[in-house]
Amino acid sequence: MLQASCPNPVGPVIHQIPTDRYTSVMDLTVLQERSRMVTIVRDFFLSRGYLETDTPALAPSLIPESCLEVFATEYVHPSHGRKPLYLVPSPEIWMKKVIAETGRSVFQICKSWRNAESVSRIHNPEFTMLEYYGVGLTSEDNIRLTEELFAALAADATPRHARPPFRVVTMREAWWEHAHADLDALSEAEAMREACRERGLLVPKDASWEDAFNILFLSLVEPNLPQDRPLVLDRYPAGIECLARDIPGTRYKERWELYVAGIEIANCFTEMGDPDAVRQYFASQAAKKEHALVPHHIDARYAEIFEHFPSCSGVAIGFDRLLMVMLGRTSLQDVMLFPFDSMR
Amino acid sequence: MIRGGDIGIGTCLLINGTPHMVVEREFVNPGKGAAFARVRAKNLKNGNVITQTIKTGDVVEDAQVDLVDCQYQYTDGEFFHFMNNETFDQFGVPVAAHEDRGPYLKEGETYTLVMWEGEPIDIKIPYKMVFTVVESENYIKGDTVSGATKPVKTETGLVVRVPLFIKQGEKILVNTETNEYVERVND
Repeated sequence: MLQASCPNPVGPVIHQIPTDRYTSVMDLTVLQERSRMVTIVRDFFLSRGYLETDTPALAPSLIPESCLEVFATEYVHPSHGRKPLYLVPSPEIWMKKVIAETGRSVFQICKSWRNAESVSRIHNPEFTMLEYYGVGLTSEDNIRLTEELFAALAADATPRHARPPFRVVTMREAWWEHAHADLDALSEAEAMREACRERGLLVPKDASWEDAFNILFLSLVEPNLPQDRPLVLDRYPAGIECLARDIPGTRYKERWELYVAGIEIANCFTEMGDPDAVRQYFASQAAKKEHALVPHHIDARYAEIFEHFPSCSGVAIGFDRLLMVMLGRTSLQDVMLFPFDSMR
Repeated sequence: MIRGGDIGIGTCLLINGTPHMVVEREFVNPGKGAAFARVRAKNLKNGNVITQTIKTGDVVEDAQVDLVDCQYQYTDGEFFHFMNNETFDQFGVPVAAHEDRGPYLKEGETYTLVMWEGEPIDIKIPYKMVFTVVESENYIKGDTVSGATKPVKTETGLVVRVPLFIKQGEKILVNTETNEYVERVND
């Protein structure tokens, strides 16, 4: 009898992972959930007429973002020397070229890489990004679209606080509610530093407006945002430099961030369509990047794609974080098959 | 001075002239922004916990502290009374600022005290400690669901959940960080 001689009646031996070889035990249900969610995302966007893109992981030049460090590598030509290349911190550099070329709404799920960030329950240097850009959409339209996506993705295990409807709060309202500060009155660096000091926060004498903003925001506002539902923090101040469009007549930008359980899940920009503004952003960020740990090439002609760029709004979602909150987990380690720090 | 990126749990910071001990720390990059260390720090004079956010590249003032071994003697409700093991000096640590330490203080036991400018500002509790069970409810035989526990009280007033076989008068090893039972200790 074959069955009687089987040493392990419970299951095939091949599924047993010796614990001395791996620090974590593979959770196949999480792998299956990831696959299920990827399929839903594809169906969701394809059925809405979005084009799925598949862009290179290696780029010869990147958008200068002073706060991001990247991974550098090189191509070695058999006879003509070497060419520096960089793993993309986001596929946007390529996707925006596709939008400019085709005028189509696009989406992509792919790996992205960010260097020199701490590895923690919410950070892994290699992660999966979901980006979608809707031509003709506003950032408000993208709030609704993202809400629909969340509804489509919700599983049995999804806790109440990760399910739609979203709560939408402007940055200004959040500052008033949680720090009793009027953001409109704090447009100068010294006023922002003083607002920190008045609340007992440590702030360097020469802190920039953006640093002082972050000190107050991260100490008093962000930790106190309500967590009973997903929360859209809308209208970021223009003082935080980024590629989002200004809201005319205000000091705010058409940009929102989505928080679930206090964790940043998504970032949405209605894209800046003015090539000169993009050039200005590049120049300012490139100057700040002088002290980057990993310097990289910048595509000097990138702003040209905005000469004929359609009005469009894009969302970038940390897909692993999304999977984590959708499954009611609290650490990225729970949803990654090979989390970074287990590969010592 | 200490860099934001070097701050860890247990670091003593001088915030607005008062020593604070870091009890939680996480690194955050707000919306593709710069890296900051967000810390929760306990005011070592009144016990209040506050949040501060420090850019990882910026420096802040840290409190230069000394560690001194002292024997815990008793409490009068207002102070925990200690004696310096080397100088035999006796002094009190205000209960109000360190109330959470109370259930871990055993009379006659030596603790490491954190001193700042000659004043005791914190009592370090060993990671694992042995306590005696002084109050325990009896359980009914047969009520033995695997992994079932019951609460017991120690001689210091600490409440710990232990397996049902632990009896009054027995000694137990406790993880003081998580307040979890580790094992029964036989004399």
